[in-house]
Amino acid sequence: MNTRIFRTEVRDELLGIVREPTALFFSVLVPVAFFALFATMFSGDGGFGVESLATYGAFGVLSVVLINPGISLADARERGWLRVKRADGTPLGVTLSAKVTAALPYAIVTLAGITLVARLTAGPLDVFQVLRVIGVLVLGALPFSLFSVAVGARFSLNAAISVLNALLIPSVILSGLWFPLEMLPMWLGEIAGYLPPYHLAQLALAQVEGGAVWGHVAYLVGTTIVGAIAAALAYRSAEV
Amino acid sequence: MEHVLEVRNLVHRYGDHTALAGVDLTVKSGECVALLGPNGAGKTTLVRNVIGLIEGKADLIEVAGGNPRRAETRRRLGVVQQAVGFPRSLTVGEIVGGAAVRRGCPPEAASRAIAEMGLTGLEKRRAAKLSGGQQQRLQLAMGLVADPVLLVLDEPTEGLDVEARRRFWNTIRRRLDNGAGVLITTHLVDEAAAVADRVVVVDRGRVVAEGTPDELRRTLPDRRIEVRTKVPVSVIRALDSVHSVEVRDGRTVIAATDSEQVVSTLLDLDPEANDLTVATASLEEVLVALTHHEEVAA
Repeated sequence: MNTRIFRTEVRDELLGIVREPTALFFSVLVPVAFFALFATMFSGDGGFGVESLATYGAFGVLSVVLINPGISLADARERGWLRVKRADGTPLGVTLSAKVTAALPYAIVTLAGITLVARLTAGPLDVFQVLRVIGVLVLGALPFSLFSVAVGARFSLNAAISVLNALLIPSVILSGLWFPLEMLPMWLGEIAGYLPPYHLAQLALAQVEGGAVWGHVAYLVGTTIVGAIAAALAYRSAEV
Repeated sequence: MEHVLEVRNLVHRYGDHTALAGVDLTVKSGECVALLGPNGAGKTTLVRNVIGLIEGKADLIEVAGGNPRRAETRRRLGVVQQAVGFPRSLTVGEIVGGAAVRRGCPPEAASRAIAEMGLTGLEKRRAAKLSGGQQQRLQLAMGLVADPVLLVLDEPTEGLDVEARRRFWNTIRRRLDNGAGVLITTHLVDEAAAVADRVVVVDRGRVVAEGTPDELRRTLPDRRIEVRTKVPVSVIRALDSVHSVEVRDGRTVIAATDSEQVVSTLLDLDPEANDLTVATASLEEVLVALTHHEEVAA
C-alpha cells in the first residue's frame, strides 16, 4: 500500500510545481540563464563545454533540490496540511521520499537546459560524458534535498526561504561552482574541501577529466547519512 | 456497546506547563461525546493525543482497538481539524482521492464521500478556491472515505451556513446510526446540547464534569426568575436563597436556589407582579459555573 501512497504523494508534489510554475523561475530558469550569460561572455575561451556542465550543473541541481522540498514542506506545515497527512496515517518515510523524489525531474529539466546552452555555445558534446555527468549530479542531489527537508520541518515558510537561500548562495560560491576557486582568496578557497557541493561538482568533473572519485563519493555518502538523520529528527519533532 | 475510544490517566506536559493532568475519556460505538471547556483548557491537546499527532503519558490510550501513534490505527479514524489550508494546486477530486489511497480504499470510496458531503460537481475545482463551508465539508469527506469507526471533529461546523450545518449533522447522525463513535469539540454550546449523548467538561487539564446535557444542567442549583415587579431590588436581594438581582429592560432578573419560595414571597409583596418566567440554567451557564471563567468556549 505504501507504494500507492508514495505514487500519490509524488503526483501531488509534481502537480504543485506544474500548476504553480512561478516557483520554478528561480530554481530552473535562473541557473540556465546564468549559464547562458557566462557561456555567451566567455565561450571564446572554449571553457563552457562538458566541464562547465559539471560545475554549473551542480549549481543548477542544488538550486532545485536544496530549495523546493524545504519550501514545499514549510508551506504544508503552515497550512496545516501536514497535520492532515499525519492524521491520515501517511508514513514518515513516504512523505519525505516523495518530497525528495519530486524535486528530481526538475533538476533534470534544469540540467537539460544547461546542456542545451552548452551545446549551442561550445559545439558538439560527448554524449556519454554528458549522461555520466547528469547521472552523477542527479544521484548526488539526494543529501541536499534531505537537508532541505530538515530546514522545511523546522522553520516557518518565510524563514525557510531565507535559510535555504542563505545556505545555497554562499556554498555554491565557496565550492567554486560559479567562479574557479583560483579567483577567490586562498583562505576562502580552502573552505571548499569541507563543503558537500564542492565534492558533488568534483565527482561530476571526474566523469570528464578523470581523477579520484571515491573520496568524493565517501564524503557525499556521509553527507547523505547526516542529512537523513537531520531530516527524520526534524520531521518527527516538527510542530504541525 | 464497545468502546471505540478509551483514554485512561492521560498526562501531557509542555515543558513546565501541564496541559493534561490525568484525563479519562471514553466514547462508545454509536455515541456522540461533546468536549467542552474554556480556551486553554486542554481540549486541543487531548484531541491531538487521540488522533496520534502527539504522545503524552497514559495508562491506556486506545483508538479503534489500537495505538493512535500507529499509522494503521489512524487510517480507521475520520478527522476534521481546525485551521487547515488545502494545497493551492490540488482539486477536490485529487484531495479526496488521495485520502482514499492513504487509507487503502478504492476510488469509488472517494466518489461516495464526495457525494455524501454534497460536493458532487466540484471534483475538478481547486480546493483552495472553495468557500469556507465547502472546505469544511471537503475535510469531512476526506474523513469519511474509509467508513471510520471514530470521527474526531474539532469545531466542525465553523463557517457553515444553516443548510450546510443541517446536512452536516444529518451525515453525522447516519454515521452514528451505523455504529461510528463521534468525539466533537465546538464553541456552539447549544449545538453540543442538541446533538451530544454525553458532555465532558475539561478545565485546566482535568475533566471537571461529565454527563448528559440534562444531568449537567441539574448540577447547577440556580434558577433564573424574570418578572416585572415594584418590589425594590434591595428587598429581593435580602431574601433567602437569592444569589443575585439585576434589572434589565424593566424586568427584574433574579438568580436563586429555591425559585418556588422566592416567587411566592414576591407575589405576597406585589400581587400585581406580572410577566413572570422561571427558567432552568442553560448548558452555557453550567459551563461558566463549572469552569469559573467569564468566557465560555469549546
